[in-house]
Amino acid sequence: MHAHSTTHRTTSTTSTTTRTLRTLGLGATALVLTAALAACGEQSAPDPESAATSPSSETSEVTSAVVVGDPWVRATKGTEDPSMTGAFMTLDNPGAEPVTLVSASSSVAGTTELHEMAMLDGAMSMQAVDDGIVLEAGRGKVLEPGGFHVMLMGLRDAPAPGDEVDLSLVFSDGSTQDLVVPVKAFTEEEGHYHAPGTGDHDH
Amino acid sequence: MAVPRVSRRGLLGHAGTTGLGALTGAGLVVAVDPGTPVGPPESIPAAPVGTTLAPWGPHQPGVAQAPPAVLEAVALDLRPGVDREALGRLMRLWTGDIEALTAGRPAPGDPAPWLSVPGADLTITVGVGPGALGSDRFGAGPAGFTDVPPMVHDRLEERWGGGDLCVLVAGRDATTVAHAVRRVVADARPFARLRWTQQGAWNGTAPDGSPQTGRNLFGQVDGSANPRPGTELFDRTVWVPEGRWAGGTTLVLRRIRMNLDTWDGLTREEQERSVGRRLADGSPLTGGGESDDVDLAARDEQGRPVVALDAHVRRSHPALHGGRRIFRKGASWTREVPGPRGPRLESGLLFSSYQADLADQFVPLQRSLDELDSLNEWTTAVGSAVFAVLPGFEQGDWLGRSLLA
Repeated sequence: MHAHSTTHRTTSTTSTTTRTLRTLGLGATALVLTAALAACGEQSAPDPESAATSPSSETSEVTSAVVVGDPWVRATKGTEDPSMTGAFMTLDNPGAEPVTLVSASSSVAGTTELHEMAMLDGAMSMQAVDDGIVLEAGRGKVLEPGGFHVMLMGLRDAPAPGDEVDLSLVFSDGSTQDLVVPVKAFTEEEGHYHAPGTGDHDH
Repeated sequence: MAVPRVSRRGLLGHAGTTGLGALTGAGLVVAVDPGTPVGPPESIPAAPVGTTLAPWGPHQPGVAQAPPAVLEAVALDLRPGVDREALGRLMRLWTGDIEALTAGRPAPGDPAPWLSVPGADLTITVGVGPGALGSDRFGAGPAGFTDVPPMVHDRLEERWGGGDLCVLVAGRDATTVAHAVRRVVADARPFARLRWTQQGAWNGTAPDGSPQTGRNLFGQVDGSANPRPGTELFDRTVWVPEGRWAGGTTLVLRRIRMNLDTWDGLTREEQERSVGRRLADGSPLTGGGESDDVDLAARDEQGRPVVALDAHVRRSHPALHGGRRIFRKGASWTREVPGPRGPRLESGLLFSSYQADLADQFVPLQRSLDELDSLNEWTTAVGSAVFAVLPGFEQGDWLGRSLLA
């Protein structure tokens, strides 16, 4: 498995969290996507001086691909419906233009869609996000249980904890990112996810 | 790379003693007037504490850090059939956990994301034991990597020994450390099961906030003669210089039981004589400050050696071992054990020794101490385990790739 069409870029700011992504299979060359973002309210240290600075102004020279962080896929082995699951991650757009996650695919899934959990008629329901997941300039989204996620359907084998799943993300700027994503057990019942948020977060 | 700690101390202006005074005062008010509502102490200026250490680099960063306030060492045994490919998956999984947790982010899929916080001084260091070596696993170990041969004074218990994998989780507070341990062990479950855990604590910070060597439970300043991280001596002592394991090191973890009751019965002079250092400040009995070298040749007026022939500092001194040395860290522990008349306390030291070549550095030193060391009367090794600490990894890479690929 090879990662392709990824670029290497680094920016630096005064107080940053550098995010990383392993886009490689066993023995493959590491391709690093780094962006020095004070992302997701996850600054390395609470520091009002730098928090007061808009990171977007410091990263505006970057024309960019999205930074993917902390990806994981929920294991379904032994669950009620082992044929579908979600992939979760953080997506950060350090660039000056909005970028949309347009689609995703995986060799383990027959179909892959972008979904969102939302309140519908007073109940949580899951719906496809046909227009993709928009990442505003200088902002990001958290894909998490109860919110936006990549839905893997028609799974050929139920992913078990300790497995790895390939996942390819296609963005509106023409970039593609190929990930190798760990499968993790998740103890909460499906349909009983965390309270939903907007999925938006600031840098 | 450490995010500078308390870089904004200047902003607080009078933060130093005045801040402490305000804190103490607030405590007193609450104590004498139970009617006072206890809420967030908003009037007390907050200062960030702790550092957030990036996990990347040629070496795993936890090794060269000072002994942490809280250390939890975890040993796991690989499940049958876990081969090189599976170890790669585990190492990539752990790499993701380590990158997130040390940055203060929840590990991917973390069911309790609130327990990950930045500024926790958190490091997570991974080593592999003899059982994880071999052609279908991590291959051959670093040069000189061997089990510690039996020592006369050892009273080893299986319960505290061995392990195919070791994870050292070090941090500033026990809650964050416990959470990281839980994540690392839970995520490893498809590959490995828990063998033992050992905890310890260390006070490496003086009351004024400056770093200090710290003391073991005998009261001794412990670690004064360590090579200093960042020096050529440290690098030569600790890091494997070349080959597949370049940038890694080896770790001996010894669980030392300390007989505090008999130790406490000694006079101050007897206690200082057994080590060769003053208890008050850790300085050598031959004079100078804590960091000064001991003068092994010094004699008193009667012509007797100032440092006794069986003193710990003499027996462990590099001069006796052709310059061989180790980088040592301590973590003190105490626990309840059953006694004939009810529970009693057992105390000791979880001792970590880092060296590039275990057989060449640690073993001769330990043999020498086993043969003669005044401290043997009050210390007993009850656990022993050896691990080859993986080289560091760069951002975008993963732990152990060079050994597994």
